[in-house]
Amino acid sequence: MSVLLEAKDLACNYGRHNVFHDMNFKIHSGEIFCLLGPNGCGKTTLLDCVLGLNFPSSGDVLLDGVSVSQYRRYNLAQKIAFVPQLHQASFPYTVREVVLMGRAAYTSTFGSPTEEDDIACEAALQKVGMLSYADKPYHNLSGGELKLVLLARAIGQKAPLLLLDEPTAHLDFRNELLFLEMMITLCREEGIALLMATHSPDQAFFMEEKGLNVTAAMYAKGTICYIGKPSEIITPDTIQDVYGVRARISMENNDDGTVSRKISLLHTV
Amino acid sequence: MKILNKNKRMPLWLNILLIVVPLFCVIISLLAGRYFISPLEVWKTLFSPSFGEAPTTVVMELRLPRSLAAAFVGASLAVSGAAYQGVFRNPLVNSSLLGVSQGAGFGASLAIVALGGGAVLYPCSFIFAVMAVGLSILAGRIAKSNTNVTLILGGTIVSAFFGALTSILKYMADPYSQLPSITFWFMGSFASVGSIHLVAIIPMVIGMGLIFLCRWKINVLSMGDREAATLGLNTGFYKLLLIGGATLCTTAAVCISGVIGWVGLVIPHIGRMLVGNDNNRLIPVSISLGAAFMVIIDILARNLTASELPIGILTALVGTPFFVYLLKKTKGGVWR
Repeated sequence: MSVLLEAKDLACNYGRHNVFHDMNFKIHSGEIFCLLGPNGCGKTTLLDCVLGLNFPSSGDVLLDGVSVSQYRRYNLAQKIAFVPQLHQASFPYTVREVVLMGRAAYTSTFGSPTEEDDIACEAALQKVGMLSYADKPYHNLSGGELKLVLLARAIGQKAPLLLLDEPTAHLDFRNELLFLEMMITLCREEGIALLMATHSPDQAFFMEEKGLNVTAAMYAKGTICYIGKPSEIITPDTIQDVYGVRARISMENNDDGTVSRKISLLHTV
Repeated sequence: MKILNKNKRMPLWLNILLIVVPLFCVIISLLAGRYFISPLEVWKTLFSPSFGEAPTTVVMELRLPRSLAAAFVGASLAVSGAAYQGVFRNPLVNSSLLGVSQGAGFGASLAIVALGGGAVLYPCSFIFAVMAVGLSILAGRIAKSNTNVTLILGGTIVSAFFGALTSILKYMADPYSQLPSITFWFMGSFASVGSIHLVAIIPMVIGMGLIFLCRWKINVLSMGDREAATLGLNTGFYKLLLIGGATLCTTAAVCISGVIGWVGLVIPHIGRMLVGNDNNRLIPVSISLGAAFMVIIDILARNLTASELPIGILTALVGTPFFVYLLKKTKGGVWR
């Protein structure tokens, strides 16, 4: 497996305040990298550094061995697609028009999308099961549908790395599961790597149990404290250390011999 | 009511319509007026003008320049309104967003009060319009946070400032000659437009051309700077071209016509109701609708009453009911 993204001694400051420091991790193609950590620990800032929207105060993020700051915007967008956590609708574009925006990195300086982009856009909508919504205004969609449309937009970008900022926040059970399954399919069938910031260690367990190459990074006090396979590093002790809560991890044996892990929260510490 | 539902590229018939409709309005404007000229005579003067004769003078030196000026001003105001709305992600902004109107208004008032008006009015209003935009951008830069909001705020502040300066001039102006001139300038008119003023078409064409070239990128920019950047757009570059282009054509428009409100806000919205929000279609439609609308309004301004009506009055009087009608017809259209 080749290294797609590498963070090297990454540090970021806001003024004098240090958001994080000594961040080191690698993401290989086809890998799912779950970034776990409490609110306000700087996950979004880290994602911004990867996206080239924020500049680290020291260290670097290397994409295919080249610093992200060296990339032109459209080159970077061809390599990293981003599904934002919050999206504020501006004008009531149709779903199709929104998904086509994912093709911006492939249009010429003064160009518009072409037939080829139309095809890519429809294929992406098909993949997330939203093709029938193509000509509906996107601001009428439910939260779950909107997330799927934003995922389709990112798929249309045809990038080998997908960045997701709390992708399943505000989604109901079914939509959360649907979204997770969609991401699993992407990893499996297209070999896309995922970097996702999430609040739910259960999701890391879930994807690991589906047989994917999952790495969890638990992130607290400004740096990564624990990194490894979710089943190995997410334990009651590490959860207490990172989140300050006491939790129990229950294991259930499935019929097919696999083990499902679930976290039950007990009390704050 | 939306005339296009599928996201197909601009269909051929729409492209033809967008060119034919404003042209048709311009031709009508050559016929309409107090001095009667038959369509045949208009045709003759257009293709074999005999200078010195009354029909040629009326058509070539009065009606044609005026009509062309109206068409380009209408197109400029409408398209820059559409561009500003997209770039600033705000459906309520219009073409005088960055203080262009108040700046140009102060320049014109200064020319009327201090320099006696006349030809000096145009360069004077241009200089102050550009100055107002510059100050708006500077004011917006002071707070480094959200540049879109602070830029709108900067425009509002600078507009208020130049509005106050204009009030000082009005207060000092001769109430029988200068004050009416200032007041009329703020209502907009094409009455004094002659062939010489068609120079202003050059910056308008450049500005509109820039917006037209970047039209699809407005869609992406309207997702917000952060998302637009992650989608692969060099946001600074496109915002510079779009805001620069919109400012250039609005400034040139305001300088030859005075302040004409409403068009820059409402024509883009009429366009949205007709063809949707995709700027790929909205921008050409705004150009065409703006041009046709303004030429029609100018025909009305010249012919409704014995003396000329100011344009700004008519754009609101005709535009408002039409907008309400469309709103009812489309039930808010895409804004539900």
